[in-house]
Amino acid sequence: MAVDEALLRLSREGPAAVTLRLYAWARPTVSLGYFQTYDLTVNDEACRRLGVAVVRRPTGGKAVYHDREVTYALVGREDAGFFPPDVLGTYRAVGEGLVRALGLLGLGAEMAPEGRPERGGGRDASCFAVPSAFEILVRGRKVCGSAQVRSRGAFLQHGSLLLSFDARRTGEVLAAPAGRMGAGDLGEAAAGVNDLLPEPVSREEVCEAVRRAFAEVFGVVLEEGGLTREEEAMKEGLLAGKYLTEGWNRQGGGKRL
Amino acid sequence: MKVFPDDLLYSREHVWVRVEGDLATIGITDYAQERLGEILSIELPEVETEVERDEAFGVIESAKASIELISPVTGEVISVNEDLTDDIGIINSDPHDTGWMIVVEMKDQNELDDLLDARGYQEFIVNEMEAD
Repeated sequence: MAVDEALLRLSREGPAAVTLRLYAWARPTVSLGYFQTYDLTVNDEACRRLGVAVVRRPTGGKAVYHDREVTYALVGREDAGFFPPDVLGTYRAVGEGLVRALGLLGLGAEMAPEGRPERGGGRDASCFAVPSAFEILVRGRKVCGSAQVRSRGAFLQHGSLLLSFDARRTGEVLAAPAGRMGAGDLGEAAAGVNDLLPEPVSREEVCEAVRRAFAEVFGVVLEEGGLTREEEAMKEGLLAGKYLTEGWNRQGGGKRL
Repeated sequence: MKVFPDDLLYSREHVWVRVEGDLATIGITDYAQERLGEILSIELPEVETEVERDEAFGVIESAKASIELISPVTGEVISVNEDLTDDIGIINSDPHDTGWMIVVEMKDQNELDDLLDARGYQEFIVNEMEAD
């Protein structure tokens, strides 16, 4: 989270490049959306018992259990020219890359239609309970959930591309509001690529497909790179001052109306 | 084409300002609310908080994104629109008036010189849309 935010904060400086970052988590982690209420979202007892970490994202949206998946982050400036300056337009453009990536893996994916109503009144804590506009479906099941933050002409969109979906564990680590889907329904709503492919693929194969797909869809050559010194320093500051603090992870940023 | 009130000033971050003496009432523009879609929640500073020009003074959540609200002026927040607690939809339905967010007592009115008038803002967003 700290790296993703540092990339966003520093994207205004330097060339108008777009960064694609693919990563996995050091240990299973629940990430909750910027505006989610901790106690209504996270089952603290289950997370402690199972050794699952919890972090609040800088992006909106709902909670994600990160374990058998690839997380992507895309950071860019609106003036870079690849992405439209609105929320849904960016989702659509990134979605085209993700659909192509899944195609390279042998899965026929599509984007969820715009404005699809949420079942169950949208009360579910889990991101994978319902597809939002332009999220990625294979045979009607969500394989990738994404979220976005925008600031000063730049955006960060990150998301979780599932290798396999564990509905039972997802249900266990998230809080259970009334009317929430059971593990069975949640298992029908989402799936990982290896739940759908006849032969399983590795995390690296998925990453390679994503890299190739984005290069093809946007007509660019990807250059591999690490964090700059500035990005590294900002990441450290954000870890100490934000993402490793209870205040941020439990309460979030400020006063909510 | 949208019509933007002549009695407001506008920032390139799609925030409007109504100036009365050294008080600046601040909200987001009709163009911004339309681009964001249905607004679901908002985080604003408390009264007596200092806000800084070009820094975030709040965060708004719309369909699956959080968006930072960038202050066009520096000063102290003297009022927050508590009506948004009851009906956040007024940011979408009446962004330039009852959907206001905060009132700031400005430290330096020269900061207003960088803002656009209605016509300038209109031209700015036309250019932005063409750049897509």
